[in-house]
Formats: sequence, C-alpha cells, structure tokens
Amino acid sequence: MNIRTGSALATCALLASGSAFATQYLTAEEAQQVMFADATAFKPQPLELTAAQMRDVQKLAGLPARSVQWRVMSAWHGETLLGYVVLDEVVGKYELISYAVALNPDATVRQIEILAYRESHGFEIRSPAWRKQFVGKSAQAGLAIGEGISNISGATLSSNHVTDGVRRIAAVVQVALKK
Amino acid sequence: MKCRAQPWLGTLVDIRIADALDAGPLNATFAAAFARIAAVHRLMSFHDADSDVARINCAPVGATVTIDAHTACVIACALQLHADSGGIFNISCATRLAQWGGLPPPERSLPPYGAGDCGLLIGTDGSLHKTRDVLIDLGGIAKGYAVDQAIAALQQAGVISACVNAGGDVRVLGAIPFAIAIRDPATVTGSTVTVDLANAALATSATYFSARQIGGQTVSALVDGRSGAAITSRRSVTVQAADCLRADALTKIVMASGDAAHPLLARHGAQAFIL
Repeated sequence: MNIRTGSALATCALLASGSAFATQYLTAEEAQQVMFADATAFKPQPLELTAAQMRDVQKLAGLPARSVQWRVMSAWHGETLLGYVVLDEVVGKYELISYAVALNPDATVRQIEILAYRESHGFEIRSPAWRKQFVGKSAQAGLAIGEGISNISGATLSSNHVTDGVRRIAAVVQVALKK
Repeated sequence: MKCRAQPWLGTLVDIRIADALDAGPLNATFAAAFARIAAVHRLMSFHDADSDVARINCAPVGATVTIDAHTACVIACALQLHADSGGIFNISCATRLAQWGGLPPPERSLPPYGAGDCGLLIGTDGSLHKTRDVLIDLGGIAKGYAVDQAIAALQQAGVISACVNAGGDVRVLGAIPFAIAIRDPATVTGSTVTVDLANAALATSATYFSARQIGGQTVSALVDGRSGAAITSRRSVTVQAADCLRADALTKIVMASGDAAHPLLARHGAQAFIL
C-alpha cells in the first residue's frame, strides 16, 4: 500500500477558517435539474408556516419544526406540477451539510442530493459566525471549495441529522403544499 | 471530476467519476450506481421493517426465511469470516448494539447475547435457516458490499476511473490513483496519512464517532464477537483489500485482535495498518 505521511492536506488550505474536509457537490440549480430532469421551469415558492402548521409539522415528523421559513422551488413541465425542491442545512458535531430534497406533489420523497459538505473542529461548527459564511450560499457561486482532496476514510459518521431533516421537510410539504 | 453524494446506509455515500461524460450519460451513470446502494440499504437495513435483516430478526427459531441473493451472499461471507476469525467477526451482535443505544430497540424482546455460533445457516437454495434466537446487524459488512455493487454498476456503464466512498469504506475503479486521507484518530477532523488507492478497496474502523458512556461503562458501535464486549480502543484500523466487503469486515478483526498482521489478512490478499 502506498502511504504518504505528513500533511498532504495541509497544503490544500480550503477555507480561511481551516476546515479540514469539504466538498461542493451540486449547486441548488444543478440539483433541481438532476432531480427533475424533465422539468421545463422552476419557480421560487418560498414558504412561511403558520403557528398551526408548525404544530402539525412537529406532530407528523416527531421533531421540532425548527423554522418558519423554508426555501422551496416548484418544478413544472409546462402547466403540470412535477413536485418541489426544498433546500436545507444541518449541523452535526463536526459537520455542516447542505442538501436538497425533491418531493412529489403528494409529499412523498423522490430524491435527496447533498449539495455541500464541510467539516471542521467542534468549536468552529458551533460558532454562528463560522456557519454564517456557508448557510444559504450553496445555491450561489463564489463559495470556493477546493477539489480533489476530500476522499476521507475513517469511522462512519452518522447521517442522522440529514435523515431527521428529510423527515421534517416531508412533513412541511405534506402540511403546507400537498395536493 | 464529477461528485455526487446521497444519504444511504446511515451515512453519506460519495461517488466520484473522473471520466469526461456528457450530462445525460453522467446523470444516468450516477443514478445506476446509487440505485445499487439503495437496493442494499433496503435489503439490509436494521431499521426498515421490510428489510431482509428485519424479517430475519423477527423470525422464530427454526424458521426458514426467504431472502434476496444479495443478502444471502453477504451473510454467507459473514458466517465464513466468523468461523475463520475464531468468532471475532459476529453479525449476531445486535443485541449488544441495541442494549447500548447504538441501534433502536426492536419491537420484540431482546434475545440474550451468545458468543458461539451465529445461529444462522444459508441453504444451497440461498434461503436462510434460523437455528438460535439472535438479532443480526450487517453494519460491519454491508456498506463494503454496497460499495462493491456501486463499483460494478460503474464498470458495467463503461466508466474507466471512479471512486465510491460509503462513510469511510472506499473503493477505486481503474488504474488512476485517488488520494484517500485517513482520519487522524487523535484529532478526528484532521488527517496525517494519505493512501494512493487504485483498483482496490480501503476501509477504516474506529470508535471516535460512536464511543460513549453508558452506566459508567464505555461502549461503541464495535463488538468483539468472542466476548460481546465493546471495543473501546482509541486507535483506528485501516485495511486495504481487493474488494470493499472484505476490507470493511477485516477492519473489525484487526481492531478486536489488535494484530495488524492477523493471518486472515494474508489469506484475503489484504494489508492493514493501525493509527
């Protein structure tokens, strides 16, 4: 086995904050196209939940609804509604994950794509200032994340935060948008 | 390099394709590879009540359970590794993981943990016979198998150079090396070692994400099948092998034995290092 020791990674300073591992997978626009390949149009449909809807989401998902506002796009083929794309981020102990969930008009989950993954030391992940530089930016250019060094082998990091987030989003769409 | 990631198998699965493909074929190729991962997830999830694993766990002693050929293949390999490792590698360890909160408590009562045999037999027709009341979990081997399946899908699609990584279980398709950073078990978010991997698989096991205290006892997601005790070493084990199923499973044997030159490695053409 060809093993290189030393800090091959340190030479690839990804972010000024010193994040060790990061990968940009898809922009929000790319994810929409991948998940609704036959769509002819995407329309922003930002969602603001009422207090009653928040309670319904919590009941359905078994998790706090967390947010009043949700970033939603509807996908269309001509006049036909194909479904929705909801964008979200979750923060774990070490990781910040942006992801997009595609749902059918009946609120069933169609596909999930990770948009970006960033990892750092716990103190940075917990710092609102560090997170703020990423949150909501996965849809935009200008967030430079280096390429080609982020294959990591290690103990498996659980994706429970994403799984919970997807469950919450499915409940949000069921409560507020289901046809 | 085109990269995609989706949540499967309780972790993020990352697929990278180096070939220059147009958007249509690229998307179809990613979809084919993720479909294989999803199929393994549905068959072998401990959590999903419809999975083969859940049906095996619910079945009474003496029952014959019809399972998918993929599940039969993984369980047959696991039973062989159990025998060859003197019981270190044991898929019938889910009782322990459920007791420690690493797996959700099943609907049924927890069977007692027993070292000894795994309580399962795979028949010549691929069906499974349950000989003892056990709870199985394929978490120590199914991710590796899923990676192998995705690599097969990429190969069948004509891809020359690609890499699949399911939460640290990695396999590279093709002769072009991919640099794989191994997490430093001391800092967790950093790495000190990089392996250039080509036409091979690499898996790492450690307890830095799963170790926790329960009732004054340290537990983890890794069980030494001989005793049913949690593995609590603060070190990490990395194994390189031809395929990811073996790399994944062999990490547990090296971890429990503390032996980076365990005889089973050579038998499987594998190598290991401990960090």
